[in-house]
Amino acid sequence: MEYEIEEIKGYAIVHLKGDVDLSRSPFARKAILDCLQERKDVLVDLTAVTYIDSSGVASLVEGFQVSRRMSLDFALIGVSDAAMSVLQLARLDQVFPIFASLDARIAHTERRT
Amino acid sequence: MTRTMSFIEGTGRITLNAIEEVGYHFALFVESLYWVIAGPFLGQPVRIPIIVSEMMKIGVLAVPVVMLLSFSNGVMMAIQGIATLQEFDAESQVVPGIAYSVTREFGVLIAAIVVAGRSGSAIAARIGSMQMSQEVDALRVMGIEPVRHLVAPILLAMLLMMPILTLLADSAALIGGGLYTGIVLKLSLSTFIDRVFETIALYDLMQGVVKSLVFGLLIALIACSNGFSVHGGSEGLGRATTRSVVLSIAAIVVADMIFTYFLNR
Amino acid sequence: MNSQPIIEIRELDAYYGDRKILDQIDLQVNEGEIMVVMGGSGSGKSTLLRHLLSLNRPSAGTIRLFGQDINGLPSRKLHEMRQRIGVSFQGGALFNSLNVEENVAFPLREHTKLDDNTIRIMARMKLEVVNLAGFEKLMPSQLSGGMIKRAALARAIVMDPKLLFFDEPSAGLDPVVSADLDELILRLRDAMGVTIVVVTHELESAFRIADRITVLDRGKILITGTTREVKESDNSRVQNLLNRRTEDVPVNADEYLQRLTDDLTGL
Repeated sequence: MEYEIEEIKGYAIVHLKGDVDLSRSPFARKAILDCLQERKDVLVDLTAVTYIDSSGVASLVEGFQVSRRMSLDFALIGVSDAAMSVLQLARLDQVFPIFASLDARIAHTERRT
Repeated sequence: MTRTMSFIEGTGRITLNAIEEVGYHFALFVESLYWVIAGPFLGQPVRIPIIVSEMMKIGVLAVPVVMLLSFSNGVMMAIQGIATLQEFDAESQVVPGIAYSVTREFGVLIAAIVVAGRSGSAIAARIGSMQMSQEVDALRVMGIEPVRHLVAPILLAMLLMMPILTLLADSAALIGGGLYTGIVLKLSLSTFIDRVFETIALYDLMQGVVKSLVFGLLIALIACSNGFSVHGGSEGLGRATTRSVVLSIAAIVVADMIFTYFLNR
Repeated sequence: MNSQPIIEIRELDAYYGDRKILDQIDLQVNEGEIMVVMGGSGSGKSTLLRHLLSLNRPSAGTIRLFGQDINGLPSRKLHEMRQRIGVSFQGGALFNSLNVEENVAFPLREHTKLDDNTIRIMARMKLEVVNLAGFEKLMPSQLSGGMIKRAALARAIVMDPKLLFFDEPSAGLDPVVSADLDELILRLRDAMGVTIVVVTHELESAFRIADRITVLDRGKILITGTTREVKESDNSRVQNLLNRRTEDVPVNADEYLQRLTDDLTGL
């Protein structure tokens, strides 16, 4: 099962959806890492995610670390309350850049520059 | 009257316990076999790295002791053989004597006793302490069958290593016997070896190898089942360890006798 | 949400030899609930836990987890179910031959085909959750009692279980560490929505974490209810247990004397 990847304004947006669990997180991981390998800035969209387990979060962590090593941009958008509580449990909400949407992310970058 | 009754009762109870224990060993064997064959299809394969590490512990690390004991045993057989045969002026017959008894009997026996002493106790102690600390329960509740994870690798490693150890023991004993015979009877080692191979056939070597498989099986099952049955703290652990070694050596010697009887009729 | 209880025990009996350990146990645990099974030593609470974990088979009665009868389940189904259940044992039961990270990652390595990086990140995330970050490479023998419990908890939750069992979580811990662990149990339930069963004899801890408490005494359930219901129970045995009073059993002189002098010669 492949996840949809959309390219908007220089970002590759990985749209995760449904249950990102032990059986599906390897696909999420591959999608994210593939985009980074192509040297693209990545936004992971969690809007359509109904459930994400630790293997899914681990894939996000790995993607974030790779993006930093390659000096690429990486952020999460559309994080639901359920996903947020999983992130909070391991205090990862303080680690990932989290934004409401793509526009919020871009606004944030523009404000800084 | 009551004394005879209690004697009969006691004997009966011991017999029952023994039958129960043999039954348990058999069940353990069947279950291990089941996981070896069916495990990969049930998502519970017997892990190769664990088998390799067991082979290391059971087999490879036992090589020096097995070789040393077998070599000494070969020398002793040569000494005794020559001394005995001298009385009949037949000391040159020492070579077939050593060749037969080493390959059929003593090589495998020494290998098995060393493994029983080293691994029989170590396995019982390891599984026993895992039982005591609830590690075995932990495996079970994780959905990992302890027999598949702990017993099957030991059993496989034992079945793979025992024949190798036996052949190594055979060669060490023959070299020991050959060296002593060579010095006393002025026979070169190569002549000795030639005469050994004239004497023994593949059948003799196989006799040792087949026995080694059975002995390996006995050691593994006795050690594992004693480990699982540990109860009553560290005293119980010590008892299970001792019991494992004593029982496996006894089982080996008795099984050897039965084998020898049937294979040499 | 309350469609079906996660745990459903019906008329459970258990014997050790001839001794009846559990007598007609009926109990339900609902989704997302923290149920504390409380009782003194010899109350049968450990035996009840062993039955819930399917380590012992009941003499009579049924136990359903996730709606399935665990004693009528083919072993493959039972293995699958067990991957959705986490257990934190009293003594931790960490594998002594593996270091902390390997212990936590062990269920993932056995049950999943995830990438090695994912597995290691997951294990370390769980160690972060239990505040054991930086201790990955230590062996179990190098850990303190509280650290062992936390590492065991990290291993229990590494597969994101839907049902979590704790056996005496606060036993052998000092009050501060024990309170930390209770806090952690509450956080886990809130973040993961996991159903939790805690077996303990510690009153303080029980009332701190429980949604409902069931009090077990001599193999029978005295009461099952919310913490308030249990506190306000007028059952004298429950009150004795709550106030740590030992019970005065009336002495039968003949039987007592018989017990003391039984089997002696010359009497």
